[in-house]
Amino acid sequence: MSDGIVAHRQTGEVGQAATPEDLRLFAGVRARELGAFEALYRLYHPRLARFLLNLLHRPQLVEEVLNDTLFVVWERSDTFRGASKLSTWIFAIAYRKAMKALRRLDEPVEDQDADMRPSDGDAPDAPFGRHRAQEALLAALAKLSPDHRTVVDLTYFHEMGYREIAAIMDCPVDTVKTRMFHARRHLRRLMDGELTDWL
Amino acid sequence: MARILPFIVDPHRETRDLMPWLITGRLEAEEKARVEAHLAACEECSRELAGERALAGDVAELPIATGIGWAAMRDRLDTAARQAAFVPASPLMRRRFTARRIGTMLAAQAALLAAAVTITLRVETPMTPYHALGSAPVAMGGNAIIIFRPDAHERDISRLLKENNARLVDGPTAASAYVLYIPTATRIHALDRLRGDASVVLAEPLDTAALR
Repeated sequence: MSDGIVAHRQTGEVGQAATPEDLRLFAGVRARELGAFEALYRLYHPRLARFLLNLLHRPQLVEEVLNDTLFVVWERSDTFRGASKLSTWIFAIAYRKAMKALRRLDEPVEDQDADMRPSDGDAPDAPFGRHRAQEALLAALAKLSPDHRTVVDLTYFHEMGYREIAAIMDCPVDTVKTRMFHARRHLRRLMDGELTDWL
Repeated sequence: MARILPFIVDPHRETRDLMPWLITGRLEAEEKARVEAHLAACEECSRELAGERALAGDVAELPIATGIGWAAMRDRLDTAARQAAFVPASPLMRRRFTARRIGTMLAAQAALLAAAVTITLRVETPMTPYHALGSAPVAMGGNAIIIFRPDAHERDISRLLKENNARLVDGPTAASAYVLYIPTATRIHALDRLRGDASVVLAEPLDTAALR
C-alpha cells in the first residue's frame, strides 16, 4: 500500500522514466499479467499522484483521475506505439483526464484565499525557516493557473525537457517555454523575500 | 522562389527561456553551449540563473503527501472483470444460456441504479477542501450500495450490518437504497453474504471510478 506516502524527487531517476524496468513491466501489462500491472502502478503512482495533486489540488479527485489514467494504461495498452517514451504517454493521459475533470467541475481552480487562511501547521513558537518557505511556495503555486503549475512541476520535479512537456500538454514547444517564463515570473514575485531565506 | 531568411535568435531571450532546462540538464548539447556562452558574458542573466536555481531546488524539494493506493484500483479491476463475465461469448451462447441473459439484465439494472445513486451523491456531496501538509487524511466514503426488502425488520438490518462489519454512510435515497462502507479487504465476501440473505434485494460494490 502507498497510503500516506510523500512523493520525493530522486535525482537521476525521475524524469528518465523509459527505463528497461518500465518497458519490461509494460510488456507484462500487454500480456494481461496483473502482477506486472500492479508493479507498474506502484512505480508510477507516487509521481502521478504528485503531478495530479499539484495540478488539481483535490485529493479525492486525484484518486479518481489517477485510477482513470492507469485503467486506460491497462485497458488500452495496445494503443501505445512507442513513438514517445512510456512516461510521456502515461503523463499525457493523466493530463487530459485531469483537465477533463477540472472542466467537469466548472469552478475556479485557484485557491484565492490561501494566503488569508490561518495556517494549520506552524505553532507560534515554531521556528521560521524552511517550513515557512515551503508553505509560501505552495501558496504561490496554488495561485498559478493549472497549466502554469503543470509546466513548473513537470520541469523541476519530474525533470522533463520542454519537448516532452509539449507532447504531454499537446501544445507547441514555444508555448511551454512561454508558460514556464510567466510562471517563474509570477512565482518569484509572489515569493519575494521568502525564497530560500532558509538557505 | 522565396529566399529563406535566417531567424536571428536573441541570445538574451533564449537564455531566459531555456534556463529552467539548463538547470535540470535537459538541454541538447547545442542549446546548452549557446546558453552557457551567453551566461559567461551576461551578468544579468547569471544573476537570474542563481535565483532560478534556488526556485528549482525549492520546487523539487516540496513534499506533497499522497494518500491513495492500489486497493481502489484492484477493486475497479475486479468490478470490470465481474461485469465482463456477465457478457455471453457468442449469439449461440446467448440462446443457450437464457438464465445468464437474465443475469446480464439484472447486472445492468443494478449498474444503472448504482450509477444513478452515485451521480446523486456526487452532486450532493460537497467537495473535500484541499488539505495542506500535515492535515488529517480524508474520511473514507461509501463503497457499496444495498437495498433491503420493504418488509425487512430493523433488527435484521442491524444484524446484517454488524455481521459484515458494514457501516451506513448515506441513504435512504429516492430508490430506498443505502450506501455502505465495508472494509476493502472483506468487501467482496461481505457483499456475497449480504446478497444471500432473504432481507436483501441488491448489494453491489460502489466505485465512482468504475462506473464511468
